[in-house]
Amino acid sequence: MSVRRIRKKKKLTIGSVILYLLIILLAFICLYPFLNVLSYSLSGYNAVLSGRVTFYPIDLDFGAYKEILARSQIWLSMRTTVLITLMGTATSLFLTTLAAYALSRKDLPGKKFISGMILFTMYFSGGMIPTFMVVRGVGLYDTLGALFIPQAISVFNFIIMRTFFREMPESLEEAAKIDGASDLQVLTRIILPLSLAIIATMGLFYAVGYWNSYFDALLYIQNPDKFTLQLRLRSLLFGEELNNSAASLEGGGTQVMTQSLKMATVAVSTIPILIVYPWLQKYFVKGVMLGSIKG
Amino acid sequence: MDKIVKIRHRGSSHTLKRMWRYKWLYIMLIPVIAYYVVFKYIPMYGITIAFKDYNMFKGVFESPWVGTDIFAKIFKSKNFWLSIRNTLTLNLTTLAVEFPLTIIVALMLNEIRKLRFKKITQSILYLPHFVSWVVVAGIATNLFTMQGGTINNILNGFGISSIPFLSDNNWWVFTYVICNVWKNIGWGTIIYLAALTSVDESLYEAAYLDGASKFQRLVYVTLPCIKPVIVTMLILSLSRMMSIGLDAPLLLGNKKVIGVSEVISTYVYRLGIESAKYSESTAIGLFQSVTNIIILFVADRFAKLIGEDGIL
Repeated sequence: MSVRRIRKKKKLTIGSVILYLLIILLAFICLYPFLNVLSYSLSGYNAVLSGRVTFYPIDLDFGAYKEILARSQIWLSMRTTVLITLMGTATSLFLTTLAAYALSRKDLPGKKFISGMILFTMYFSGGMIPTFMVVRGVGLYDTLGALFIPQAISVFNFIIMRTFFREMPESLEEAAKIDGASDLQVLTRIILPLSLAIIATMGLFYAVGYWNSYFDALLYIQNPDKFTLQLRLRSLLFGEELNNSAASLEGGGTQVMTQSLKMATVAVSTIPILIVYPWLQKYFVKGVMLGSIKG
Repeated sequence: MDKIVKIRHRGSSHTLKRMWRYKWLYIMLIPVIAYYVVFKYIPMYGITIAFKDYNMFKGVFESPWVGTDIFAKIFKSKNFWLSIRNTLTLNLTTLAVEFPLTIIVALMLNEIRKLRFKKITQSILYLPHFVSWVVVAGIATNLFTMQGGTINNILNGFGISSIPFLSDNNWWVFTYVICNVWKNIGWGTIIYLAALTSVDESLYEAAYLDGASKFQRLVYVTLPCIKPVIVTMLILSLSRMMSIGLDAPLLLGNKKVIGVSEVISTYVYRLGIESAKYSESTAIGLFQSVTNIIILFVADRFAKLIGEDGIL
């Protein structure tokens, strides 16, 4: 109780006022770049040109969004990314669950060897080029499969999940075994229904990873029709694509037009993440804590 | 079921019988092992091209062995050493700024007693972690660019001339660090906040009763309590000094600052994918992997030597 009293006394000191102000400043720094994106994407042409846009939109204008959403490429890329995220998350969850469950059983002969084989890849890998050659060799180059199959299992997530399965009471499994259930039945009927929370967490980990990944697409995808959203965004932001088309549309002053357009594209590709963010954050923090316990 | 098993394996060894009991688990592991063999272990075999003069038409097996010629070649290359220097510079600078800041922010958050306020600020601070590097680089370009960048617009408004955040070597490193800190700092506090919640409240109470000021309580109670976590995190970060994510340097970098933005991973990418120099690129990758493992072992030993938990 006395702790409470100590805390109460502290509340109104200058120190705590400064503390709160600093935290608010910090939060503002974290949010401002997003605000900047919105302001630019929603501002009128002249306002952007004269550099007046800083904290809020000036001469509200949805033109940039209209223009960007009228591009079929954006929708195509959005579709590809959604597809990759769904298929990738499903594949990853499937494989990670199998690995984590099987290797969480205590007396499985060969368990040590197989676990070691998985953990070793955390510290050593073939590297970019040999992996690239294998992906091309198995015929995945320039297919969407290249974006999720070669990196389906994350060792980190595997460790978290294995730890979780290990901590489940053994009596559950034993009881089911006595009733004649096979290991497969134990997994699907008993373990999985009890692990929905961890599976959801892992699913979110994977989904965000797939949504945000762009390098695999840069490496393995050539056909622009198969560009993921992030890769499309990259070529719009840093490539020639947008600049050229905007130039043909606007004639002069293209640079400013592109600034609004670019930021509108950034907004469009980030909004889905922001929508699921409240759930994400809750589960992710839990996941990080699970992971830090170390398998 | 068990009876059949027994009959079928009467003559075989004990291990085989045991393994048969676990047949479902092995069946589950088949796709997992297949995945690791194909996408992780076959590429490891592919490392042999670092010791071969790889020729696309001859393939991995038929290309002639050249021993360590490729390594001799890359060790003589200026760009290779430059990429290592840049990797270390960017990693160390980022660490020097991010590491202490993360702890300070965690300590600050820990002092907040209004739970709602704390929750909201935490949510805001974690947000950048979930944004892709492409988006971060896009936003950063809009903020930091010379002409029409928001920050330079503001500076110009105060009569200060524009700063080449993205096109001058030193300023670019500054921008790179800022972007990394912005993206990672909130997320990095989680581990410290967890450690801070496990500090025994009675220690604070005792210190308070002994007349310790707020600052003294921080230095003599809080910090010693979370010291193991700090040391482990520091060693862990230091052990990663030679590896660097490819996203940030590749996306933030540009031709003007390639002298500081070309790191090992981007160099491997450019050499291997853009210039199709497979053997050299693989050799550099191998050099990096091996160095990483050595550093990891040394760091682990060091951690145990000073009485902390190992990191392996």
